[in-house]
Amino acid sequence: MVKMLDLGVTLFAILLTLSRVFITIILSIVTGWFLAYVAIKNKTFENVYISLSEILESVPVISFFPVVLIFFVLVIGGQLGIQLAVIFLVFTAVVWNIWMGIYQAFKTIPENLLEVSENYRFGFLGKMARLYIPYSIPRISANLIPSFADALFYITVSEVFSIGTKVFQVFGIGTLIADFTAEGDYTDALYALGILAVFTTLITFLLREYAEYSVQKYGLDTEERESFLKRGRIRVRYTARLYSAKSAISRLSKYLTKPPYFISRRERDKEDHEKRKIKLPNKIIGRGIGIVILVILSYLTYTVVSSVSPSTWSYIISTTPFDLVNLAYDYARVAFIALLSFLFAVFLGYYFATRPIADRIGVPIIQSIAAFPAPAYFPLLYGFTYSYVSSVLGPFTNEFYVILLGFVSTFYYIFYSFWLGVKNLPSEYWEIMKNYKMGFRTRMRRVLLPGTFPYIVAGLSSTINSAWGGLAIGEYWPDIFAGHTLEVKIGLMKAIALADNHGDLALVGWLSLIFAIVVVIYSILFTRRMMDLAREKYVAEEGVYAA
Amino acid sequence: MTNILNCVLHYRKLFKKLNRGLQGNTDGRILEAIDVGFKYSNGVIVFDDINLFASDGELVAIAGPSGVGKSTLLRVLGGFIKPYKGEVRLLGKKIVEPTPKISLIHQSIATFPWYTALDNVKLGIKYKKLPKDEEDKIARKMLEIVGLQGFENFYPKQLSGGMRQRVTIARALAADPVVLLMDEPFAHLDELTAEGLRHEIYSILFNEETPLKSVVLVSHNLSEIVELSDRVYVLNGSPASVIGEVKIDLDRPRNPRDSRFQEYLDELYALLTPISKTVKDGKNA
Ligand SMILES: Nc1ncnc2c1ncn2[C@@H]1O[C@H](COP(=O)(O)OP(=O)(O)OP(=O)(O)O)[C@@H](O)[C@H]1O
Ligand SMILES: [Mg+2]
Repeated sequence: MVKMLDLGVTLFAILLTLSRVFITIILSIVTGWFLAYVAIKNKTFENVYISLSEILESVPVISFFPVVLIFFVLVIGGQLGIQLAVIFLVFTAVVWNIWMGIYQAFKTIPENLLEVSENYRFGFLGKMARLYIPYSIPRISANLIPSFADALFYITVSEVFSIGTKVFQVFGIGTLIADFTAEGDYTDALYALGILAVFTTLITFLLREYAEYSVQKYGLDTEERESFLKRGRIRVRYTARLYSAKSAISRLSKYLTKPPYFISRRERDKEDHEKRKIKLPNKIIGRGIGIVILVILSYLTYTVVSSVSPSTWSYIISTTPFDLVNLAYDYARVAFIALLSFLFAVFLGYYFATRPIADRIGVPIIQSIAAFPAPAYFPLLYGFTYSYVSSVLGPFTNEFYVILLGFVSTFYYIFYSFWLGVKNLPSEYWEIMKNYKMGFRTRMRRVLLPGTFPYIVAGLSSTINSAWGGLAIGEYWPDIFAGHTLEVKIGLMKAIALADNHGDLALVGWLSLIFAIVVVIYSILFTRRMMDLAREKYVAEEGVYAA
Repeated sequence: MTNILNCVLHYRKLFKKLNRGLQGNTDGRILEAIDVGFKYSNGVIVFDDINLFASDGELVAIAGPSGVGKSTLLRVLGGFIKPYKGEVRLLGKKIVEPTPKISLIHQSIATFPWYTALDNVKLGIKYKKLPKDEEDKIARKMLEIVGLQGFENFYPKQLSGGMRQRVTIARALAADPVVLLMDEPFAHLDELTAEGLRHEIYSILFNEETPLKSVVLVSHNLSEIVELSDRVYVLNGSPASVIGEVKIDLDRPRNPRDSRFQEYLDELYALLTPISKTVKDGKNA
């Protein structure tokens, strides 16, 4: 009897959470269609839109969310404010790559199709329904798996959040499992996790099938490899569109036929021309937007800070040197997680890419694991392994768990993008590697790593962003399991969480601002540089030439 | 450990084959396909019972309509894919995997954009694990042979299509191949560039300084075939088989206006025509 009730409650919680996930995704798609349409019609808007999305995507927005949330709850308030805050929180995690995917789709609609639609004088809705929307479906559908995983991850976290001493909570599977765990009801927690796993695996499977179906139905052959680098940086989740969608077998069956990635001269020229035209204003606008974001954040910070006593200012500012040390520790953690994920990705990605059967089985498994939200199962994992791990690692135990949480919530991006890059290497390269008997190290160093460099940069940047998210959760997790608190000694994410916990909102605002400044600068100086370098020199598709 | 064991086993097998091959008399045949058939995993048989060979000093062409299986056959010859029956032998030894002794040149001109011409060529010799300066010397010499002296430090992007294809030829030659497989090497070049490279290719390939013994050229350009090859296998049908073999007995350099050149062309056309009604873009001379 009790079990029946639990099952009902669990299912209800899962459905509630999933509907939040899908509301967010649908919201992203619908807004994406309209914004992309405006963007391709209006140059100025286009530049602003793209630069904004690029920066916001390469910045772990989620990590300085306390300050935005405070704003949300203070301004809108009430249960509505909380619900909206949750959705908004997740929205920002998934929206950028869906928007960019749609934009890229609209941007690459072949000229002749556009002309046809002009010819028949389709109105706005006609064009949307008959041309633009169908054309964007394959990309959207290929984006769905990572978007789903992302959204679920952050939703399970954000169903409970606290501002100051007040805890805000909405009912969902995240809160349900957290409650079970907190009450020591581990059987029920596991049981709920099991059901959740069934759902996530099933949904991942359905999304894969749908992606495959939609590529077959809506994909154009000519579109195939063409212009995934066309404009702006390449994005993991975006390039995911077709290749993930195709089954490994059908991809391999292409092995001997002529590769479809010849870009005709004319198209390439056109593209170059366009690139040159946009380059300069784009850079300036990009910087400008970075600054605008900082201004907005400063304003948010200001509203937060000014809502508290002004005398705290001097105290807050005096903490800055220590905050920077905190930040340095966090960067070290992020670097470590990124390195770990990278090694994992390279070896496993290579293994899968060279073994069709392992590939066929392994990649869906990894996808399902990635879609299974770490914040939901991590407390249990922690609880069940703590005594063993702490006996082995002693004082480094908590550090280990934080890194582990970061790793499980981020490895997927770099793995997936490297794997994708390897898959997309021209088949000629594989034949050359075999022909000239290159060993594993030569292959890696001379062909695979350079050849997948753009994918690696894109994947690493996603991994790094998510790693910040992981740290934000893991560095200070009070009462994670049976009264234990997971916390690190030094770390900016912890400092923010602690300040939040003590109701020191002014400090939260200040710390978030410092973090935002550093991260935006890092993104502009480092990530974008690497992207430019990758685009300039390491595009494997360009190594295969067709005059 | 198992690797070493495998290697030993492998070489013992090869040795036996070699002995058999030598006793069995290879007739100066460098590369030989015996009864090979290839089947895709979906069960489609692309070709069946193909017998062909290339002798010392010979440039052999494989002609056939588009989609007949020429590229597939070439990859079987190089050990890149396995035939479901029959076998391919290099100097009497069965080919079981790709080897630098049989180098493949792609139709799609595959260079590595992150390396200079020189470094691209060096990739062909990495397997020898030579000292750096020796590697460098060989690579430079090969670039010289293909006529790219002075372009060592250019990146592929800075080279024309014809020059890039020369780089891939230099890379293949650097690997010290006995046999060169060329899959429509001129198809992606504009006509003038292709013509230029065609004129030079024979002397580039059969120069004194490389151990290259035979070349197998795949093409559906019949006049290119008559211009370059010593012998032609014509592939047609479904599943494909060798439906004709033509020996081109013309002195080099060959002149397309020569009447005997034209006769050979006609002969090849005639071989391709009967079945080509099912294949639209079969021939474009
Ligand atoms: N993976 C595959 N599975 C099934 N059939 C395939 C596969 N790859 C190629 N084929 C088929 O094998 C046949 C031979 O292809 P191949 O590329 O060898 O032809 P080709 O003679 O080189 O053509 P072209 O002159 O156009 O280069 C084609 O009919 C093709 O459709
Ligand atoms: Mg071919």
